[in-house]
Amino acid sequence: MRNFLLLIAFLAIGLTSVAQKVPVKGTVRDKSGNSLPGISVTEKGTSNVVVTDDKGAFSISVLEKASLVLTGVGFASQTIEARTGNTLAVQLDTEAAELQEIAVVGYSTKKKSQLSSAVTVVSAEKLTDVTSSNLNSLLQGKAPGVVVSSASGDPTSGSNVVIRGAGTINASTSPLYVVDGNIGGTYNPTDVESVTVLRDAAATGLYGSRAANGVIIITTKSGKAGKTKIELNSTLGVAQATTGNFKLMNAKQLYDYQQTFYNPDPAALNNNTDWWDLAFRNAMVNSYTLSASGGTEKSQFYVSGNYYREEGTLIENSNNRYNFRANLTSRLTQKLKLTTMLNGIFIQDKYNPDATVYDAYLNLPFDAAYNADGTPVDARYGTWYGRDRDNYLHSLQYNTSKARSFNMSADVNLDYTLLKNLTLSTYNRARIYHYNSDSYYDKRSKEGATNSGSAYMSNGFNTTLVSSNRLRYGLEMGQHSLSLLGVYEIEKGYSESSGASVKGLPPGRDAFSTATDIIQNPYGGNDRYMFSKYLGQADYSFANKYFAVASVVNEFSSRFGVNNPAATFYQLGASWIISNENFMTGIQPISFLKLRASYGTTGNAEGIGYYASMGLYSISTGASYAGLPGAAPSQKSNPDLTWEKSKSMNLGIDMSFFKRIDLSVDLYSKETSDLLFFRGLPATSGFDGVYENVGAIRNRGVEFNLTTKNIVKKDFSWETNFNMAFNRNKVLEINEGRTEVNTGARQPVAVGRDMDEWFMPVWAGVNPDNGDPLWQNLIMDADNKNYITYTNNYNLASRVYTGKSGAPKFTGGLYNNLRYKAFTLSAFVNFVYGNYVYNDSRFYFDNDGLYESYNQMQLADGWNRWTKPGDIATHPKPIHGRSDASNATSTRYLEDGSYLRLRNITLGYNLPDQITQSLRIANFRVFVSGDNLYTATNFSGTDPEVDLGSGQSSIKYPISRKLLVGLNITL
Amino acid sequence: MKHSFISASLLAVVLMTSLGSCRKTYLPSTAIDENSALSNAGDIETATIGTYALFKNEGYVRSGHFLMEYPSDEIAQGQNSSDDLTRAYRYTHLVTSSHPQLFWSQAYKAAGAANRIIEVIPDNATPDLLQLKGENLFIRAMMHFNLVRIFGRPYSQGSGLDAGVPILKEGLTEEEKLTVPRSTVKEVYEFVITDLLKAAEFMTQQKSNSFASREVAYALLSRVYLYMEDDAKAIEYANLVIGNDIPGTAATGRYRLLQGAEFSNYFRNAPDGNKETIFCIRHIKTEDRGYSAIGSMYFSGDASGNAQNQAFSGWGEIYASEKYVNFLKQQPGDRRLSFISSYTVNGVQQMNTKLTPNTPMHYINKYSLQEGIVNLSSPVYIRLAELYLNRAEANAKLGNTAAALEDVNLIRTRAGVASYTEADLTLLNKSILDIVLEERWLELAFEGHRVYDLFRNNRSMIRNYPGSHVVGGNVNQTIPAADNRVIFYIPQSEIDKNPALSQNP
Repeated sequence: MRNFLLLIAFLAIGLTSVAQKVPVKGTVRDKSGNSLPGISVTEKGTSNVVVTDDKGAFSISVLEKASLVLTGVGFASQTIEARTGNTLAVQLDTEAAELQEIAVVGYSTKKKSQLSSAVTVVSAEKLTDVTSSNLNSLLQGKAPGVVVSSASGDPTSGSNVVIRGAGTINASTSPLYVVDGNIGGTYNPTDVESVTVLRDAAATGLYGSRAANGVIIITTKSGKAGKTKIELNSTLGVAQATTGNFKLMNAKQLYDYQQTFYNPDPAALNNNTDWWDLAFRNAMVNSYTLSASGGTEKSQFYVSGNYYREEGTLIENSNNRYNFRANLTSRLTQKLKLTTMLNGIFIQDKYNPDATVYDAYLNLPFDAAYNADGTPVDARYGTWYGRDRDNYLHSLQYNTSKARSFNMSADVNLDYTLLKNLTLSTYNRARIYHYNSDSYYDKRSKEGATNSGSAYMSNGFNTTLVSSNRLRYGLEMGQHSLSLLGVYEIEKGYSESSGASVKGLPPGRDAFSTATDIIQNPYGGNDRYMFSKYLGQADYSFANKYFAVASVVNEFSSRFGVNNPAATFYQLGASWIISNENFMTGIQPISFLKLRASYGTTGNAEGIGYYASMGLYSISTGASYAGLPGAAPSQKSNPDLTWEKSKSMNLGIDMSFFKRIDLSVDLYSKETSDLLFFRGLPATSGFDGVYENVGAIRNRGVEFNLTTKNIVKKDFSWETNFNMAFNRNKVLEINEGRTEVNTGARQPVAVGRDMDEWFMPVWAGVNPDNGDPLWQNLIMDADNKNYITYTNNYNLASRVYTGKSGAPKFTGGLYNNLRYKAFTLSAFVNFVYGNYVYNDSRFYFDNDGLYESYNQMQLADGWNRWTKPGDIATHPKPIHGRSDASNATSTRYLEDGSYLRLRNITLGYNLPDQITQSLRIANFRVFVSGDNLYTATNFSGTDPEVDLGSGQSSIKYPISRKLLVGLNITL
Repeated sequence: MKHSFISASLLAVVLMTSLGSCRKTYLPSTAIDENSALSNAGDIETATIGTYALFKNEGYVRSGHFLMEYPSDEIAQGQNSSDDLTRAYRYTHLVTSSHPQLFWSQAYKAAGAANRIIEVIPDNATPDLLQLKGENLFIRAMMHFNLVRIFGRPYSQGSGLDAGVPILKEGLTEEEKLTVPRSTVKEVYEFVITDLLKAAEFMTQQKSNSFASREVAYALLSRVYLYMEDDAKAIEYANLVIGNDIPGTAATGRYRLLQGAEFSNYFRNAPDGNKETIFCIRHIKTEDRGYSAIGSMYFSGDASGNAQNQAFSGWGEIYASEKYVNFLKQQPGDRRLSFISSYTVNGVQQMNTKLTPNTPMHYINKYSLQEGIVNLSSPVYIRLAELYLNRAEANAKLGNTAAALEDVNLIRTRAGVASYTEADLTLLNKSILDIVLEERWLELAFEGHRVYDLFRNNRSMIRNYPGSHVVGGNVNQTIPAADNRVIFYIPQSEIDKNPALSQNP
């Protein structure tokens, strides 16, 4: 470094001696008038460069009539004329063009324009329009190819993310999360600066091995040198459960319906209880964040605290989170930079301890919830028409279920400049996760009565240690730029869990010490795993036009069999910025044009348990008998078990027109082979199955992301982002000549088909003559020709591939942001199209008279029941206790799961600068916001959004509609 | 510059290699490597406990109970269950029904685990090891016997030539295990008998009634021979178990019939000291299955045994049939009434009003209230009373009316009801076999015998009592012994995975 400075000084002296230089001074500010430190000011065409100080001021000596180029991370570069005399006042615009964004890719940070990969960056601003403590839920619809689905509206539960279609059967489909440069880690959405989604192999490959499902890189906020910034964000709102097209029957409706097949007790009409209404409520959502950031040239800090509370729309259900983060960066010496990050998240979850959602759907309106004196009815005694004799309101007086967890990660990162161009970095993280849950069932409640009061508790403790050590070499020679990276990384995990259950507790006492006996034997155990990998990468570019990247990774995992625990993966990528070519300079409309291509292999080791390759005898209490410890065969060995491998190819194009329209299009094909699969074996093997590397699956698709600045005016601007992704999945091969992996299942995974294709009898409606249910029965005639006949015998119904898949044909999102003077309005819509959802709970609430003791749904639009010969009906003649399996698995309950949802709409108002300045605050914003206000769908249930992993909707806790008001103040 | 480059490179190399040396694998804390699971006598004993645990599993005990008992005329279901168990009760089986699948799968897991131990103990091992080998042979036999009576037609109907179940014998290769076809019923019975005889020979230790021992093997042999209609053998092995038990006197043999209050509380006490139980599937206090217990389907009440509404402590939706209860009540004071808990409020018999016609709520408590825990039970697989009645049935078929009556009367006397004389047979216009089967019905009700006692004797199952076994108000259902649904379908998912398996018609 010293040599380098000397060189510059020498050059400067040398130049001065050649021509006359003049001093130029100036200050740089952003649009809001904040001074900007750290901006590079370069004399155009030379290496004469200075950096602005913390007041945004600079001073440089340049040749007369020279131009100055001002550049800074996050700002559009600007060229100005260097005039002497007055201090220049320069205002830099934030770099809004999507293609200029900085992306953290693999182990390095690059400008997006220089990437060869399919990468999407979602900024904090776009991320946090929706109010949730769950990052995945915030990401929904915001990056092409990223499909987020929530199985439940429970604020204590998470959601499922799939990038570019599921490429695996039994292994995990979850992408790899990388927080602040290391795999794993913790974060709170309020501290997230940006999220980068890596989709193709060239980018994901560096995370090797474990990145076959894509990578989501989370970068948390950091401080910037300059004035300390203090920010307060507060959001307050109310949430309600969405019920979509779904309506339950009231007492009169149910009574009238039951009269068609049964003799309901007329006394049942004395009540008309709305069990749904009693189970759900207007729930409060609050979030408060206070952060401070700033620092000096040498040290910067970001410190924040957040309190988040979301009540479930279901009673007795809530999520409380306390989050603390401190990110500190210090330049210890000129060569050594230290970054320490500390994040702690404390979570309190309250679960509804009763089967309240189930009861909300299925309890009968005939049963009263409250006695005459206002106390909840104890459903165990007296007349009760409902099947389960459960009044959750009675149980909830006494019972509780809750959990606490503490999640902490501490990072210590050192970057040491060994030599000019050579940096050694070590990134180290320790993560501790402690989980504790308990539930209590009072002896006065139905659930606690048989054990005379019972209590359960479980504990989990996990640690993860990651050390990633990197040697980086960079070389610039003329227009050539080369960087080399070598990494050695190791991850060790340890987890332990234990639990116990006791009984015989005095009423109202949930402490374990008050119990008199145990229910089951306590359990406990621990697990360990490790990963370790070597990685090499070379990155080359020429003239800012041609880019190439190549990498190779060898990774070991303790999860695999002794024969093949490690595997090698490689990745290649190249791109060409055509718009930087001379021949493109005259073509005005195209301001940027780049072609990208990548190819590579990645792996998957998640989702199979820690010891999937071993032949095991279980020695847990399940293997004990008559009070004696035992050992029973529990897992079949497969020493050959190895990594699941994906080969993926990506072709992409990035374009900008008129500097206003940015379009990225990506085409990909990802082929996963050696799928980690629990292959079912006949029972005579002594096991249910064995973990094997079975078969291959391909996902192909197209994604595009379009950002347009429709109107850019001083007082009015309108920006639109539209993204869409089409994915098609096909099972290519299953080992050993078999054609299905999960024969007989609703989704058997068959060669040549979509792995999520539904397989079941085809419902053929109702026999108009007698109201019987009908299914298709395919008969093969003498000429091997199939023809369709109809049967009312479920056992004769042909089980067939329905051509309908649980996977969407396409997904996407549309984001619009309008600004008029101090007002901003943004609206975000996401959509899912073409997937079929198996509405499993219709088994209970749409069963043609089979169960008279469950409440039933009102028939949806277009549905009708058979009542007399000749009726063309969707629903069979109701028969009490019927045995014809009219509600057994068939396409009858397979429904179109497409939906379009207004995920968020936000109206904001920024206090004008004159006022904020007089109040001595930097920014003051208020907003009102609505989440999930509208959903368009044909789905008959409460909510079409299901966990797309299973594709089924079963006693759904629907997602919430929220109305919120918020306040942001920056000092 | 050169110096720092070298030191930097060295530092990097040291850092990387110091970490790079570790590529470890780990063993779980709650399981052991199969290669070291059977390495010594102590381990083999532990693994034998594990074989028992495999059929203590819910998939075997609970699903198996549904398949063996619910097709009988001893029980009535009220409201329809969302569980597949209703299909066993109504004879509306599906090839994809869950309980046959669960039972099949768990039975073969236990047999497979037994084979691993059978394979490592030679026939000339020490007595301790031979005892363990014998226990595993017994378990394997019991698994196959129950499989063949659930999935294969009664031996008596086709002289054992119908399709039985796959025989999982020791020494099969991994590949062979995946393609075992169904043997005939006869072959399976022969396999079972060979195992039981060998087991009886190897087992020399008397363990508690939760474990197999020589007498347990003899007792099961008696039942197996009875099912095969080898009546002489059935008597021979019953005799070996009954020994010199003289009911009502101080015991000299290993087993004796419980008397009086001890009998009335048969299923409520811990099974260990029970002198009548020959073999039960032991569930200790910490193995209460709650709502998933067999007893949860039969009984709902408090821990003192007072019957309450359905869903108080269990589902309580399968009742003693009115047919059975009425027959039992013909003899007032029958001690076996204590196994029925009629749900009455102010002396009024309560009905399950949710069904047309109404089903009287006579709960069954043979699977409840062990050691004061409502849903806890150690299902009895064989008890001494059955051996008397096996002997009685065999004698009845051999024409030894007096001997048969003597055994029946022992059971009746113990129950506190009047004995039969040969004259009564004429009076009642019943054969001695009728009398024996009636007594088996009364005595062994809900224990998984009735279905087989009728069908293997080519008698129909007549269900003319309130219940939901027939839909639509009609309560009369007759299932002839030749009906296809007397046995269950082979689970479709097993056929899918092993194409060598054929389906039952």
